[in-house]
Amino acid sequence: MPRGQKSKLRAQEKRRQLRGESRFLKTAQASVATEKDPAASAKPQVEDWSAKTQVEEQSAKPQVEGQSAKHQVEDQSVKPQVESQSAKCQVEDQSAKPLVENQSAKPQAENQSAKPQAEDRSHNFPPIGTSCEHKVPQETPATIGAASAIANADSEEGAKSQDVAPPRTSSIPELWRRDPLNKKVILLVQFLLQRYQKKEPITKADMLKFVIKKYKYHFNEIIKRASDHMELAFGVDLKEVDPIRHCYTLVNKLNLSSDGTMNDEENMPKTGLLMIVLGVIFMKGNCASEEEIWEVLNMMGVHADRKHFIYGEPRKVITEDLVQLNYLEYRQVRHSEPPRYEFLWGPKAKAETSKMRVLEFLAKVHDTVPSAFPFWYEEALRDEEERAQARAAARARTTAVVSVRFRNGNFYP
Amino acid sequence: MQSSSRRMGVMTDVHRRFLQLLMTHGVMEEREVAHLQKHCYKVHDSSATADKLEDFINNINSVLESLYIEIKKGITEDDGRPIYALVNLATTPVSKMASDYAENELDLFRKALELIIDSESGFASSTNILNLVDQLKGKRMRKKEAEQVLQKFVQNKWLIEKEGEFTLHGRAILEMEQYIRGMYPDSVKTCNICHGLLIQGQSCETCGIRMHLPCVAKYFQANPEPHCPHCNDYWPHEIPEVFDPEKEGEPTISRPHRKSLRSRQH
Repeated sequence: MPRGQKSKLRAQEKRRQLRGESRFLKTAQASVATEKDPAASAKPQVEDWSAKTQVEEQSAKPQVEGQSAKHQVEDQSVKPQVESQSAKCQVEDQSAKPLVENQSAKPQAENQSAKPQAEDRSHNFPPIGTSCEHKVPQETPATIGAASAIANADSEEGAKSQDVAPPRTSSIPELWRRDPLNKKVILLVQFLLQRYQKKEPITKADMLKFVIKKYKYHFNEIIKRASDHMELAFGVDLKEVDPIRHCYTLVNKLNLSSDGTMNDEENMPKTGLLMIVLGVIFMKGNCASEEEIWEVLNMMGVHADRKHFIYGEPRKVITEDLVQLNYLEYRQVRHSEPPRYEFLWGPKAKAETSKMRVLEFLAKVHDTVPSAFPFWYEEALRDEEERAQARAAARARTTAVVSVRFRNGNFYP
Repeated sequence: MQSSSRRMGVMTDVHRRFLQLLMTHGVMEEREVAHLQKHCYKVHDSSATADKLEDFINNINSVLESLYIEIKKGITEDDGRPIYALVNLATTPVSKMASDYAENELDLFRKALELIIDSESGFASSTNILNLVDQLKGKRMRKKEAEQVLQKFVQNKWLIEKEGEFTLHGRAILEMEQYIRGMYPDSVKTCNICHGLLIQGQSCETCGIRMHLPCVAKYFQANPEPHCPHCNDYWPHEIPEVFDPEKEGEPTISRPHRKSLRSRQH
């Protein structure tokens, strides 16, 4: 028979009891010594990790108390892993090898089976003083862990290098560990990545507030190293766009074309939908009625009244979101009663992509080439020509302006 | 266990483009990942022969190592599809979500997460989740809003919804496994075969060990008389098919664990 309610409740009770007991057990252990007994080390990985998570929002206090304080601050759930304190103490207490192992075992939570915990931990021992002093950024309650520090980053090393097949092992270049600034660099990289994905500009003030904090006098060094990393690993450039207000932005160095980044492979899910709509509009003579759009979308399984697992609410996306972003124009058909609506390309779409690109996208979708649609191919070619001419004209204008200024002795436009 | 002298790989624009795109998508299936890799080669270095996907990714990971980021591979729990996600190793969990959601939304996710982990089946009913709406931190949220937020989580691939119940998406499991193990060490379940975190799976009704559906599929493949690996009792559940990337069809598993009507064997 399937498990009844009573049985389930009993199991839950049991679990809660165990949780309570182990909490008590941990508190007892923590107060004893830094030495871990075998029983405790049986579950080092998970406990240490929570130590880690809770450490993250700590300000620099002596580690042991800091942790418990953290527990109050960190409002994840009431599972104080007090004994994990000792995990942090490991940094201070070089002799406590078992602790080191536990801390390292933590990141290997995935390998539950009793892996020998004495892995290459010894060489991961950070110099006393660096991690201990290291202050973790104070999180505002709202951003749970957006830029938490790697309090015990050094001991975290076990968590690195997940090969495509387990088991995980670790090996971090030695020089990274010795440098407390490095942690800030890493945090800043992660912070920047988040902002990049959301396409938001980044101010120096934000970076100082959320990431750098007490290291603000090292801001330039940190930001230089972070931007080197970003360039190396992700191919994005951190550029200062506003030197007065210290506003930065991340620019993709891998831009393939001068016109923009729209490309069928690179679309966020919504823009895949956009390309199709732009295609329909193009093929209906640059203006398509709403019914025509839905006809095509319905064939792809996208319906106005149904939630789509990628596009969410398709109707909202095309009539509101994309219109707001100026990719589409949505207007009422003149003198239509009852009101009917039509779509056109919006100014942003015209700027960021072209008829040729949209045609290429459609051709790919149909597993063919743009020239298979001769009529539209011609129109797309004409559009390309016009754009090329416009670009040339713009360049000529700029050159003219510059040369005029030069002649007039005004070197600084 | 690898030696500490790990050669750091070489990143080219191919790898960088790949990373950018993977990051944009959040999580991708292996097929899409392979396709993406080919696209990046085509676009940046069409003359080169593409590395094997595994080597390609290991190469990238060796460079990302010092940033505490990696491309992690996992398997979807319900039908065994391999998936890849770019994962932050150094921050608290929910950090990737932290910039996209409000405080009360994040708290809703945490509550749902806790219910899912505590549940027997790995699913939390929407009713149970919505009942916790009053306890959320931050701005007050109504149940109606909470329903929308849950749908947002589904769209962004943090949760999966099935018949009014929610469980964790493979992406959430990949990103938050360590966090979950740390936060809920007593209620967390693990698979007897792969020892990974287990949210959905089948369990032996005699001894209680659990296994992921894809792990069950592999372990009992072509075995007409499946027995529990731990207590050797007859394995009472339907054995799912091993995922075959060639045959792209509907997943063949529909939570047999829940539908199993076998009586307890004592």
